[in-house]
Amino acid sequence: MMKKIILFHALLSVVLLLGACSGKREISDLALVMAVGLDKGEKEGTVKVTAQVARPADARGQTGAPSGQSGEPVWTVETEGSSIFEAIRQMSSMSSRRVFWAHNFIIVINEEVAKEGIGDVIDFFTRNPELRMRTWVTVTPEKANEVISTVTSLEVIPGEALAKLFRYTTISNQAPRTVIMDLLSAYLSESTEPLLARVAFETSKIDNKAPDKGAQTKQVVLAGAGIFKGDKLVGTLKPEELRGLVLFREKLDSGVAVVSCPDDPNTPLSVELTNQSFNVKPKYKDGDISYDASFKAHIRVVEAGCSLDLSNKKHVKKLEDNVEKELTSQIKTTVDKIQKDYGADVLELGKVFQNEYPYEWKHYANSWDEVFPTVKINLKVSAKVESGSLLYKPTTSGKKEKKEE
Amino acid sequence: MVANNTPQRDFTYSLTYNSSIIKELLGGSADFIERKVTFLEKKDVHAACFYIDGLVNTQIIEKIVQSLMFEGNEVIIRNDLDTRDIERLLEEHVLMNTNFIETTELESAIKSILSGDTVLLVEGCNKAFQVPTKGWAQRGVSEPQAEQVVRGPRDGFTESIRVNTALVRRRIRDTGFRLEELNAGKRTKTDINIAYINGIVKKGLVDEVKERLNRIDIDGILESGYIEELIRDAPLSPFTTIMSTERPDKVASSLLEGRVAIFVDNTPFVLVVPTYFWEFLQASDDYYLGFMAGSFFRIVRYTAFILSLTLTSIYVMLVSFHQEMIPTPLALTIASGREVVPFPVLLEALLMELTFELMREAGLRMPKPVGSAVSIVGSLVIGQAAVQAGIVSPFMVIIVATTGISSFVIPNYSASYSIRLIRFPLLIASGTLGLLGFASMFALIAIHALSIRSFGESYLAPATPFQPQDQKDTIFRMPWWAMKKRPQLADNDTSKIGESQLPQPPKGDEHGESTHTKAEETSERKEPESNAEQQSETKEDSGGTGIKQLKRRKSPKGKGDEK
Amino acid sequence: MKVQITNGMFMALIINMLYAKSIGLTQGIMAREVGGDIWISTIFSSIQGIVIMAIVIFAIKRLPNGDMIDQYGQILGKWIGKGVAALVFLFFLGAYGTIMATFVYHLKDYFLPEAHTILFIVAAFLIGSYAIHFGIEVIARMALIGVFSVMALNILLLAGSISEFDIKELQPTFDSGFFSTLWASRHHDADWAMATMMACMILPLVRDSATWIRSSTSGLIFSGVIIVMWPILEVGVLSPEVAAQYIVSCMQMARSAEIGLFLHRYEMIMIAFFALSILTQIMMTFLCSSIAVQKIIGLKDYRPVIIPVGLVLSAFSYWMIGSHHRAMGIIEKEWVLVSLSIAIGLPGMLFVLGAIFKKKLKKKEEAKTV
Repeated sequence: MMKKIILFHALLSVVLLLGACSGKREISDLALVMAVGLDKGEKEGTVKVTAQVARPADARGQTGAPSGQSGEPVWTVETEGSSIFEAIRQMSSMSSRRVFWAHNFIIVINEEVAKEGIGDVIDFFTRNPELRMRTWVTVTPEKANEVISTVTSLEVIPGEALAKLFRYTTISNQAPRTVIMDLLSAYLSESTEPLLARVAFETSKIDNKAPDKGAQTKQVVLAGAGIFKGDKLVGTLKPEELRGLVLFREKLDSGVAVVSCPDDPNTPLSVELTNQSFNVKPKYKDGDISYDASFKAHIRVVEAGCSLDLSNKKHVKKLEDNVEKELTSQIKTTVDKIQKDYGADVLELGKVFQNEYPYEWKHYANSWDEVFPTVKINLKVSAKVESGSLLYKPTTSGKKEKKEE
Repeated sequence: MVANNTPQRDFTYSLTYNSSIIKELLGGSADFIERKVTFLEKKDVHAACFYIDGLVNTQIIEKIVQSLMFEGNEVIIRNDLDTRDIERLLEEHVLMNTNFIETTELESAIKSILSGDTVLLVEGCNKAFQVPTKGWAQRGVSEPQAEQVVRGPRDGFTESIRVNTALVRRRIRDTGFRLEELNAGKRTKTDINIAYINGIVKKGLVDEVKERLNRIDIDGILESGYIEELIRDAPLSPFTTIMSTERPDKVASSLLEGRVAIFVDNTPFVLVVPTYFWEFLQASDDYYLGFMAGSFFRIVRYTAFILSLTLTSIYVMLVSFHQEMIPTPLALTIASGREVVPFPVLLEALLMELTFELMREAGLRMPKPVGSAVSIVGSLVIGQAAVQAGIVSPFMVIIVATTGISSFVIPNYSASYSIRLIRFPLLIASGTLGLLGFASMFALIAIHALSIRSFGESYLAPATPFQPQDQKDTIFRMPWWAMKKRPQLADNDTSKIGESQLPQPPKGDEHGESTHTKAEETSERKEPESNAEQQSETKEDSGGTGIKQLKRRKSPKGKGDEK
Repeated sequence: MKVQITNGMFMALIINMLYAKSIGLTQGIMAREVGGDIWISTIFSSIQGIVIMAIVIFAIKRLPNGDMIDQYGQILGKWIGKGVAALVFLFFLGAYGTIMATFVYHLKDYFLPEAHTILFIVAAFLIGSYAIHFGIEVIARMALIGVFSVMALNILLLAGSISEFDIKELQPTFDSGFFSTLWASRHHDADWAMATMMACMILPLVRDSATWIRSSTSGLIFSGVIIVMWPILEVGVLSPEVAAQYIVSCMQMARSAEIGLFLHRYEMIMIAFFALSILTQIMMTFLCSSIAVQKIIGLKDYRPVIIPVGLVLSAFSYWMIGSHHRAMGIIEKEWVLVSLSIAIGLPGMLFVLGAIFKKKLKKKEEAKTV
């Protein structure tokens, strides 16, 4: 009896062998896609997909036996199709290796494509198990295939460089950090609208071999954000206008504001904002929705073109007032633009209201995009001077004092 | 049983008959010697000594002959002893040897001749005298080759069973320490001694061991490995369930935990049962160095164990099936290394593992002068040149080398073998079915390990079934003053250690009494001014349950008096 | 020799039986009904589970040496007992199907999309039959390993997702209304129904009947705590709408977790731990169904029926998980009905009947011990 049982199990294990290593693919048979760009196709109704594939031997330098090094770290290919998936299938017919999406860093969408709706993009990239949920997504006014092929900054692979641009956005604050996950959750949400970061070109690179010509080559920079309604792009925000936006969604590590000196309105003074805290509270009264937003920050003086004496209380108060005015106006402009011009709730205000007043929200849920432009947002900014970085005394020219003597 | 199944034969009073039956069985060999002696010249009593040259210490035989020929006679003549009872005469007045056995059975005499004793036959006496004269060439007590420690005793077992038991007996001077004798092997009649400490060992364990040993029916036992295979619990399993060791301190500490040791003649490897799996990952150093160092090295060993088991499989699985799990920079590096390699990863891994095993085996079998050359050439060839030639990728070399080194970290040699064996099915399963294969094979191995018992104890205790009090010695080694109880596999006498053994400054005493000094197992008396507590500490490995008995005999000046 | 398992092992078995399916499939199903309140539903469900488990324990305690089927047989006669055994088998058949769905969808969809489903079924069958051949002790010990791996899994996930946690997503609470949240808890009820039915079958094997109630309650509470961490994280990190989109939401969350800049996508480590726990669940379900069939046929030991039972279970699960929609449909609708009616009905009835027929039981018990 025992023998029969063992025999049965042995036969059953043979079934496992029939699986024949299904799903096995060697890593050297894979074309690792680093970045994807989506453009409008030549023909009407087609989409052009550009994929950037890394060539490991060149991207990482030679390890081991000499392999085919041709000096090109990436291989970029573009195809067209009536849908994204079809275009990608086309790609596999011209690729000698299986196109592998799991290491994709960034998706760049051309604004024309975005204006027509990115619902299919969202669906494709979330339905597929290969793709990471933390892939950066951006829109761009330029051609996507150009953007992802431009060698930017210090990295070898352009896609990697683009992705790394987002690493320090909390400091530079030029674009929000948007990944596929955020896009999906905003798209599916009842009230919040999707928001995508935006990249553009800027001619800022100086060629090492021809420095006299100045900045010649285009580099990709973070350039604000794109605002969507549903899945269509309705507007963009410039980087300067982002402060008001990002505060509502993320936590900022630091920010910069440039104001004028307390005693000399023509000289600029730069401060760094640290320890920022931002709070928004909804208020509902007699059918009127309003929000109280308060923003607190500490100021650190980082560049003073005038003589700023931090022990002078009047100076300090003036400085704080200047900063507060500047910040208020910045945030207000942004919020107004979003509310009035675009009418898309990318500030998550609907969710905030829903959390406080869930019962009342039910009345507004269906008509939020009409109600949103009418809500009032009261902003209160308070800034406190923390320190003057390393310096204690104001930086003034010693010679001036001598003259006065 | 005599080799050729002769029926029971006894000696008679006739010397010629006795000699003839002995010579009949043993006569043909060139090293079988008969020494004829005349005893009691007056009465012309003849005697004969039989021995095997090479096994005996001839000086003792000369003593026998001397006592028969000269001194015995003198004693008899001087004291005018009754010469009729030859047997009593020899016993009480003539033979000067320290101990001897008298027997009337032929088998016993033959066996003792073959074991190195001398058999003395005297005319008129129907008993043969078996005088122990063992004196063959043997290796002296030296450092064990396979298990070395940085700190700890460096004496190791040798091939003589009595020397081995003495090495352990020296360490445990307790009346409960018992040695029982057995015999195994039809033609080798190898001596086997079972050692245990009566009062600590669980009831029934010794009987079980004896029963299994008595069941052995084989023609020759040459090494304790034979016995291991014949009495182990899970004969078809790759896991070893019996520990074999060359170190007397390890055996002594196991005995103190309630285990049974099996000494086998002609081999320095002593078996200890029952065993836990985690014992194989513990080394003697852990217990002699401080508890922090010991715990740290033990954790290193556990990590090495996991690495050696799973690293290659995980690498193969990741690179063949789940490339999305590799961080991107690493993925590019691996891909660039694999660009030129013609083999799939699984094949490459198997190839490298095979080569590693070849190198290891070659290093072992090489004659010493050539050995070092092979190791250098081997590592250079395999490492550098193969990579340059594009046969393997550099990553694979690192992985296999790390795995190999990790498997050497495991102190017990046979355990590291079993782990290496298990590695291969795991590797093949994860290389063919990816994560499903890895998880399934791992689960199968785990189930298999969970179902094994070693002489009644679960193999994976004290991890599962979880025994909380035994956890003090599994992953970390708790300091001696914290391990209060013996492992649960011991029976009585569960409390090992006295009260409040943690070293503390004295509470208002001028003597340094509260300093508890812990001596090593070959305990000397520590500085005379402190309370000399004699620790008969012989802990080597405690499988899983580190409860050791610290016997403390307080000196008269000690703290005990103050209380 | 009667095999015994300790209280700790029993707790570990409960935790393992609950964990695998609850964190993944169930949360997605509940999210489709109540959105962000799935963690409240989970808590409700755990409380209900503790109550039912208490009923089971009190019922079984009356006849401590026989499991539920034996007791039914004692009270109502042999053929009713066999009928009950058939119902139990039906329950575990469905349970096996749902567990296999979890197993296959976790591994196949996210890791081995090209492998054929039959491979997973065969692998599970082989491991299951190998393990239950050795008996419940080995499975209980595996359960202990399963508990450690479950905790490791939770810690890994926390480490990777806590930075993206947004408490705003969890509010407002009770958005869908109190009653619909309570009604949605029936999905999670189907999960601990597996644990209570398992308890019905193996409680007699747990030593020391005095501590049954304590160990099972602590097991349920402990698993409740570690399970509820998942809906909270899923809602906070993914947002309830996204969680509702996916079939296996827990995998989606695991995929989004990343530690630092280096280790993105470490869900494979988590899945390796998860696989140990779900394999324990598979083994246990296999064992209970074998015991049920053994009781139907009236054999002394369940080992001869392992292969036929395994084949039936495998065939059913293969059919069920062939199509994603069929599987989810069954899990969301039919399975909830079947499992809850059996899991609440049988012990409940036993409890009542046992009280009525107490004398009959006592007589039989004395007759046995005499």
